[in-house]
Amino acid sequence: MTQTRRAFMMAAAFGALLTAAPAFAQAPSGKLVLYTSQPEKDAAQTTAAFKKAYPSVEIEIFRSGTTEVMGKLAAEISAGQPGADVLLIADAASMEILKAQKQLLAYPGAKTEGLQPGSFDADKTYFGSKLITTGIAYNTGAKEKPSSWADLDKPGYKGQISMPSPLYSGAAAIMLSTMTARPDLGWKLFEGLKANEAVAVRGNGAVLRSVATGEKAYGVLVDFMAYNAKKQGSPIDFVFPKEGAPAVTEPVAIVKSTKNEAAAKAFVDFILSDDGQKLALAMGYIPAKPSVGSPAWLPEGTKINVMPSDIAAVVKATEADKARFATMFGN
Amino acid sequence: MSLADTATLRTRVEETGLLWGLVGLVALLSLLPIGRLLIEGLAPGGQLSATALGKVLASQATWTATANSLVTAIAGTVLAVLIGGTVALLATLTDIRARNAFTFCFVLPLMIAPQVTALAWLQLFGPSSTLLKLIGMAPPLGSRNPLYSREGIILLLGLQYAPLVFLTLRAGLRALPKELIEAGLAAGASPLTVLRTVVLPLMTPPLVAGIALCFVSCLGNFGIPAFLGIPGNFLVLPTLIYQRLAGLGPGVLSEVAILSLLIGVIAMAGILLQDFMMRRRDFRITTTSSAARPFELGRWRTPVEVVLWTFAILVLALPFLGLLSTSLIPAFGVPLNATTATLGNYAYVLLEHAASKRAFINSFLMSAGAAILIVLICVPLGYFIVWKKSRVLRLLNLAAELPYAMPGVVLAIAAILLFLKPLPLFGVSLYNTVWIIIFAYLARFLVLGLRPIVSGYLQIDRTLEEAAQVAGAGLPRRLVTIIFPLIAPAAVAGALLIFLTAFNELTVSALLWSSGAETLGVVVFSFEQGGDSTYASALAAITVLVTVGLMLSTTLFAQRLPQGVLPWRD
Repeated sequence: MTQTRRAFMMAAAFGALLTAAPAFAQAPSGKLVLYTSQPEKDAAQTTAAFKKAYPSVEIEIFRSGTTEVMGKLAAEISAGQPGADVLLIADAASMEILKAQKQLLAYPGAKTEGLQPGSFDADKTYFGSKLITTGIAYNTGAKEKPSSWADLDKPGYKGQISMPSPLYSGAAAIMLSTMTARPDLGWKLFEGLKANEAVAVRGNGAVLRSVATGEKAYGVLVDFMAYNAKKQGSPIDFVFPKEGAPAVTEPVAIVKSTKNEAAAKAFVDFILSDDGQKLALAMGYIPAKPSVGSPAWLPEGTKINVMPSDIAAVVKATEADKARFATMFGN
Repeated sequence: MSLADTATLRTRVEETGLLWGLVGLVALLSLLPIGRLLIEGLAPGGQLSATALGKVLASQATWTATANSLVTAIAGTVLAVLIGGTVALLATLTDIRARNAFTFCFVLPLMIAPQVTALAWLQLFGPSSTLLKLIGMAPPLGSRNPLYSREGIILLLGLQYAPLVFLTLRAGLRALPKELIEAGLAAGASPLTVLRTVVLPLMTPPLVAGIALCFVSCLGNFGIPAFLGIPGNFLVLPTLIYQRLAGLGPGVLSEVAILSLLIGVIAMAGILLQDFMMRRRDFRITTTSSAARPFELGRWRTPVEVVLWTFAILVLALPFLGLLSTSLIPAFGVPLNATTATLGNYAYVLLEHAASKRAFINSFLMSAGAAILIVLICVPLGYFIVWKKSRVLRLLNLAAELPYAMPGVVLAIAAILLFLKPLPLFGVSLYNTVWIIIFAYLARFLVLGLRPIVSGYLQIDRTLEEAAQVAGAGLPRRLVTIIFPLIAPAAVAGALLIFLTAFNELTVSALLWSSGAETLGVVVFSFEQGGDSTYASALAAITVLVTVGLMLSTTLFAQRLPQGVLPWRD
């Protein structure tokens, strides 16, 4: 742990330098509305920390599931008045769609040094804030210990797998299109899952429930949820499959119609600053800036092999992929 | 102009004013959101376009989901009516003991959210079921849960809405005059014959009202098919709508609007059928006596009581115990025993989490407010629909069905489209205030109050009210002094339905809440989504306990209420 701690101290020193900067510029003020799909606790912490850094900005928040947030935003856009200034939502695909509809404001001045390559949009309209990878969770009473995606197709796993449905979860849809585009996994993996009677449930929360309660022995699940439950005593553990773990980045973006551009930019700055990144770390996420350290649950020296996603290709393929998935797993 | 003429003129003005006031109000609540969705579906951005319509109608998924919706709604309704109807007859017309306690317990499951019920039953039937393990019947690990199926959805819909039929029918049964039944029995007819030839024909209005409410509720239910239908990819219209919404992309709103209107069309067809069944028949009864209870079960009494109580306990206690056990553990999968049990989750939601407390107060005020307002609207509304046979209101009576049938998310979207911009004339915006949620509640739950009240009017004899009219009492006065007391039992049943449903609702407020205007459903959902189901369960368990407390405390005031007003008090 000492290494991580040292990195942490260094970053803290840097962070102090960086966050001192805005004080010299015109300090942003006024009202700022954030729409987010972060979990309740995280959203509360994020806004509290931002308030501390920019006391003169009044931040208001709307929090719900990604589907609900996007639905609300779509209705507001249709009525001609988006209600949000900034967004912090689960996946880049949703951001790509908003970008295509010309709803996002580019922020060329955003400080992207030190962020994971590929975690932010090349046109600087949205920026990944953390890395949420999906791997395999298993109940500690499970017979096998999986190490790769391909393991899930083995006969020993029959009837023991649950996964989030790509038809209802945006992150799962990205995972589906990312994995099926890879020659080594492809649709073959999902045909194997179908043969193994894998059950698709509504979201990650439901997968966690079924694996932790032992209803199913294995589950396709996001990293932090498995580790947080483990920390609280659930009989659950987690592996990063060796072919790589698909990831979403919970990007932050500015809505084009914002009336408070200065505060909106300040929010993006804050999320990408070392302080903002350390906040993500404290909540138990892998930050988008590797330099600030890695969460306590991540075993020392783990090199996470993130499965690259071509977001543009994913957005193109997702409807067809979901339709194929629906036919395959339908009864 | 004589004095009498002036009086008649005044009453006519009063009546016409009230009538058109009601027309305006119901149109505002029902037609306005639907109209706005229609525009969104057929002319997004003000440009007429049939793209979305063509896309929806050409999609195979649409028709599969429509067929599935019809099958589950009809079968679920049949099941709910069988259960709720039988229990209502037994609990009202026979001499079983502890009737009030039983009624109370049978109504309670209405207030446990459908998704909670679904989860509890899933756990009961799954391989990790403690109950099935006890009796050695647990399915082997990894076997598919039998509830993940069409039949599972039908079963749970039937159980979820049986109390709804029970409540509507019970309100009607208590108006049943004892004399009719006693006459039949005295003439030598068997109890079953009396039931078939006297009771059931007179009970047509509340029964049909119960069936109609139940059908629309099943049709619009999202929680149960979402949990039980996703694994087998068994789609109904509400889950298809949600899928489309999750799919994002341009043009989604238009498709969602059209799919919702499809649900509306099915709901309206159901109501038209009901209207047709009720036409040109007379169900009026003059009730003078106390509630009938003439059927003595004799030696069957104890077995019947055992069956009834077992059922009530099963349907109520099961989901509630599931909630309770999850709320007492620190994390999922930790076995519940003396060392692991913790009140930490309760402490967190009651003491630390600021929004929970606010949500309690908000939800209570908004649900109670919606219940009271809707009853105040529905009592005169029912009067004009049934006794005055107002044609325009009969049509609006159909429209009232729509906002309840469509998924709450869609109604919320309609409310956003309507109220985002400041109101014309007033220049204030309802957006991001509690008022937009209250508007949505009024629109959505209007029908829950209207159905029992309309069926109540069909059963009441108008003589009293006509006598008062002849004596020169104006309509407002007749409403307060004569009509309201007569219709009170049905009105309270309706208000209770609205309160319990709104107190737990999630789908409407999920899109409409704002900081400071959280509802309980939103907070529970937020916890559930972040993987904090233990907090969610603690909050839901507190909700159930609070509601039970509230319902019991109304019993204290019951001495002052007319007889038969509270469903759980004879």
